[in-house]
Amino acid sequence: MDPEGTLSLIRDKKAVIVDTMSDLECMDHRIPGSLCLPLEEFENMARELLKDKKRPVIFYCESDECLRAGVSYDKAKAAGYGEIYILRGGLPAWKRAGYDVESVERVKREPVVSVKRGALEKMAKKKQGIFILDIRSEDDYSKGHLAGAVNIPLYKLRKRLKEIPGNRTVLVVDENGKRSFLASCYLINHGFSDVVRLYGGMEYEEPQKWKGGKG
Amino acid sequence: MVHTGRTKTLLFCVLFLVCSGHVFASNTRINCVDCHDSPRFKTAYKGSVHGNIGCTGCHKSFESLDRHVMLKERPALLSCGTCHSEIEKVYRNSFHYLYEDFRCYDCHYEIHSLKKERGNFKIAVTNNCTRCHANDEYVLSGHGAAVMKGNKDSATCSDCHGLHDTRAYHTSGEKYILEAREFYNKTCKSCHSNREMMVRNNISPDNVRYYEETYHGKVQDLGYSTSVAGCADCHTAHNILPQSDPGSTINPKNLVRNCGKCHPGIHPRFAQYKAHPDYRDIRRYPLLYISFISMVALLLVTFTFYWTHTVLWWRKVYWEKHRLEELGIKLESPLTHEEGIQEVRRFAVKDRVMHLFLVLSFFGLVITGFPIKYHDTLWAKVLIQVMGGAHNAGLYHRAAAVVLIVLFFIALWRCFRFIFPKGLGSKGRSGWKERLFGPDSLAPNMNDWRQFKGMVKWFFNKGEYPKFDRWTYWEKFDFLAVFWGMVVIGGSGVTLWAPEKASYIYPGWVFNIASILHSEEALLAALFIFTVHFFNTHLIPTKFPMDPIIFTGSYQLEELRRLRALEYERLVREGRLDELKIKHPGISLKLVSAFFGHASLWIGLLFTLILLWTFFFG
Repeated sequence: MDPEGTLSLIRDKKAVIVDTMSDLECMDHRIPGSLCLPLEEFENMARELLKDKKRPVIFYCESDECLRAGVSYDKAKAAGYGEIYILRGGLPAWKRAGYDVESVERVKREPVVSVKRGALEKMAKKKQGIFILDIRSEDDYSKGHLAGAVNIPLYKLRKRLKEIPGNRTVLVVDENGKRSFLASCYLINHGFSDVVRLYGGMEYEEPQKWKGGKG
Repeated sequence: MVHTGRTKTLLFCVLFLVCSGHVFASNTRINCVDCHDSPRFKTAYKGSVHGNIGCTGCHKSFESLDRHVMLKERPALLSCGTCHSEIEKVYRNSFHYLYEDFRCYDCHYEIHSLKKERGNFKIAVTNNCTRCHANDEYVLSGHGAAVMKGNKDSATCSDCHGLHDTRAYHTSGEKYILEAREFYNKTCKSCHSNREMMVRNNISPDNVRYYEETYHGKVQDLGYSTSVAGCADCHTAHNILPQSDPGSTINPKNLVRNCGKCHPGIHPRFAQYKAHPDYRDIRRYPLLYISFISMVALLLVTFTFYWTHTVLWWRKVYWEKHRLEELGIKLESPLTHEEGIQEVRRFAVKDRVMHLFLVLSFFGLVITGFPIKYHDTLWAKVLIQVMGGAHNAGLYHRAAAVVLIVLFFIALWRCFRFIFPKGLGSKGRSGWKERLFGPDSLAPNMNDWRQFKGMVKWFFNKGEYPKFDRWTYWEKFDFLAVFWGMVVIGGSGVTLWAPEKASYIYPGWVFNIASILHSEEALLAALFIFTVHFFNTHLIPTKFPMDPIIFTGSYQLEELRRLRALEYERLVREGRLDELKIKHPGISLKLVSAFFGHASLWIGLLFTLILLWTFFFG
């Protein structure tokens, strides 16, 4: 569903538009009137938030590469929802189409430095006791993570903020570098003074060679 | 403290309104700063860049002052784009908005005291961007360091990435491999081809032009940036330092590793390749200069000689034909009509098959190679696109080259067998000189010189058409030129095909020479075949429009007698003429020969026109 179709579906058929990111991201910026239903909490919250299974539902993600809307779609289908859509291109497509977003509880943006993986060792030598905060889902974390990383998925960050030591440098690690910025700002807003993030997230790989690529 | 201060102000406002009897009165008029009285609003704002538009310039008015005072009604913010519409338009497509949901005030931090940048704008941009993008590489780089020293030409963040229109792919050269590369190639070139700017900064203003003359630059200009090294692949995106700096990727100590990113397994001398040399500069690049000048001289000498030869030949034949027609003279022949039309074999099947593959491989090489040479033309871009891109064109080029190389070795073997038909034993060796310089050989001898002189005399009506044996001097030249050509074009081609391995034999600067030799020799070969060879063989008025003999293998006895009198006489004398007599070629062979021959001829001529047009007007 493209942004124009999404808008008319909301207007004409009273479709529910659902942000599948964490509540922190959803409250920060979302399509006006969206429900915040993080993918990880679909099973817990869908019954409560999406009572009418006949009402059309449109899921969307933070970026055009994000798979959360697709997974939510599958879950909704399995749960028996009748008319389900995905906003093609996610929130960036919505913004590109010229539509506004709303902020309910905006996280104040702060300067956050990102560190490439190659420079981590150097940083670790300089700063003792770095707290590595992995904000990916439990599943992603269990498949592989940086040594010593502590997993607090972004959708649980508000509740588990106290688990992060305030006197240490916090390195925020996400999937692909797109979510750690907001999480870092949130931490800074809540009194953490030394927060950095991993450049490009866990999926980032240093470029090796270019040869052989086709134009 | 802040909360206490706000509470006091709020209480003051409420008390002020109550005491003055204005609570719930609709006509109360007070200034915003009466309540919002912090220095930020009261003093700093007035001196700010927005100081003249007032609070309601950005904050919408509210309906009820009383509700506002009681914190029940907050005036909504107007979009900055209401006034800054152009910036808003581009910003709505920028990375910072689309993916990070940045708002104006996230970069223009203190909006109420915002002042116009008075100092160096570039330094301000650098300082602001690097609050998040604390990229040591950039800040320490040649550009960054120069910006911080006050150089207003040097690139700051926004010069490459844009200020409000920062694109989403800029940060991901790994992911958006084509877009990012096209972006940085274009961006780097935009300043580095600005002559005035480069000269006043002591940087060569022609580096971009020289780069575009190299293989990397040509393929990149054709639109295939991902296949070759662009600016940032060697110089990096941010850590751009002078060559003398040990941290620079182009410092001699780092060059091998730098080149090795795309060319794995190289010998260190590979790095002696010049990425943007000026081959016209004899002082800095003497060998390149000599290579280029030598090739140009070779082209000039060859074409001056052969085109003159061709024009004179054409004149003589055309005028002679006209004279005969005008006078109604029919050339007489000692042969009867039946004898004259008897077909005699000139080329064996293997000669014809070899020539067929030669034509195919030659056209393959020309069509896949010349678009690289003339990369900035429309036809080159179209041709490469038709072939499915530079990568595919490269594959076809190599495949055609393999065919040509195989043919070359077969020809070498056949030459060897011709001179030593019975091997290198004492029996085989005897008589090799006679065979090598005999009438059936393609090796030049004194007769060629005499025949050439006779031909020139004939051009100027000073003598008869010379008597030729089996091979004329121009046919021998066609054949022998291939040996020179194969060494030059084949040797340079194989070098450029596998430069990594070639670096174990010779240093990288040889690749620069190889590029020039390959390119200029290709021009020589293509133009020679498409003009001189085509004229001598097909377009001469007596054979126009095409002589199919190389495909059918035979011609009429009368033609042999007239054009190759010595051979005819020799065959008669030796009683070998009957051996060569064959049946008239079948209709299918004639049809295929005509079709293939005409197609090759006209494609070649069309290509020549395109080449000449490009050369003189392109």
